[in-house]
Amino acid sequence: MARPPTPDRVNLARSNVLLVDHNQKSLDMLSSIFHGFGVKQQIKCGSAPEAVSIMETRDVDLVLIDCSMPEMDGYDFTRWLRRETPPPMRYTPVILLTGHASQSKVHKGRDCGASFVVTKPLTPTVLLQRILWLGADERSFVECETYVGPDRRVRNFGPPMGMKGRRSGDLSEHVGAATEANMDQSDIDMLMKPMKVSL
Amino acid sequence: MTEARTFKIKSTLARQLHEPGGRHVRDLERQATAQLETHRDDAMATVGETLTTLEALCAQAPDGAGPQVYALASSIVDTAGYFDTGPLFEAAYSLCEISDRMIEAEAWRWPSIQVHAQALRLILTGGCRTGRTSDALLAGLRSITQSR
Repeated sequence: MARPPTPDRVNLARSNVLLVDHNQKSLDMLSSIFHGFGVKQQIKCGSAPEAVSIMETRDVDLVLIDCSMPEMDGYDFTRWLRRETPPPMRYTPVILLTGHASQSKVHKGRDCGASFVVTKPLTPTVLLQRILWLGADERSFVECETYVGPDRRVRNFGPPMGMKGRRSGDLSEHVGAATEANMDQSDIDMLMKPMKVSL
Repeated sequence: MTEARTFKIKSTLARQLHEPGGRHVRDLERQATAQLETHRDDAMATVGETLTTLEALCAQAPDGAGPQVYALASSIVDTAGYFDTGPLFEAAYSLCEISDRMIEAEAWRWPSIQVHAQALRLILTGGCRTGRTSDALLAGLRSITQSR
């Protein structure tokens, strides 16, 4: 059965959201946006090492972290979360926020395992849409030697079903409801039965 | 080499989003935009202060200041990027781009940076409005960035 479209109503009241940015002004603005989204439990911190210790002691449902920070940046934090922490903590959704991505960081952004990268200029509408996408995320989680995180091969999947922005050719992992009657068992057997072919 | 393992995860966030008692998406967007708007004046003042620091650096033009210029430009992008600042954001982004490239290429040229700082000041003084002046300024910055 196809996934129902995202409801008009969403509930973030019980979500614990960790906001990480070394720029206090940006952190305050981000916090105001999440107040507007109805998030009551916000944990704000000014560095990734601080965020690491918070993750180790508290339950967090969503992380928003700035990409470029001194010491440990958002990419390294995400990489740590995906590779160094036990499940289910390592599956925590992470949204990376970036203004300008320097050339040296482009590969880090691709490989760190973030759920989404949101580029500025940023609007509350775009941010909420990405959170809704996380709620309806169809992607598998991948664990291998070189990468841990959501499946990056999303080009042909497009946004989750029921969301704006899907193209007609976008694929879905949902099989959907049957449109024809079930095959007869003898027909199925015939599909698998080796038969002599006369040429 | 170990094989890749793929599996489905249902996050706690996904479950919470659909819990009863939620609010309309449009209301949440409206409320968040209103909350964010309360920071606008303060944020633009911060952008102005950062630009003043950048101008002072441009006046001194010291050696090895590339990373500092990039950090200041990046800070403007980060703060201005929460609002519709049109040409200001674009000019600051262009400064990030050119300073990043010059750092990578180890070929620093202060005049390119100084032109960006002047354009940023003009745009900020003009209230970040889009118009002929800002279009001409941005076209000039683009030609500098593309020529690098």
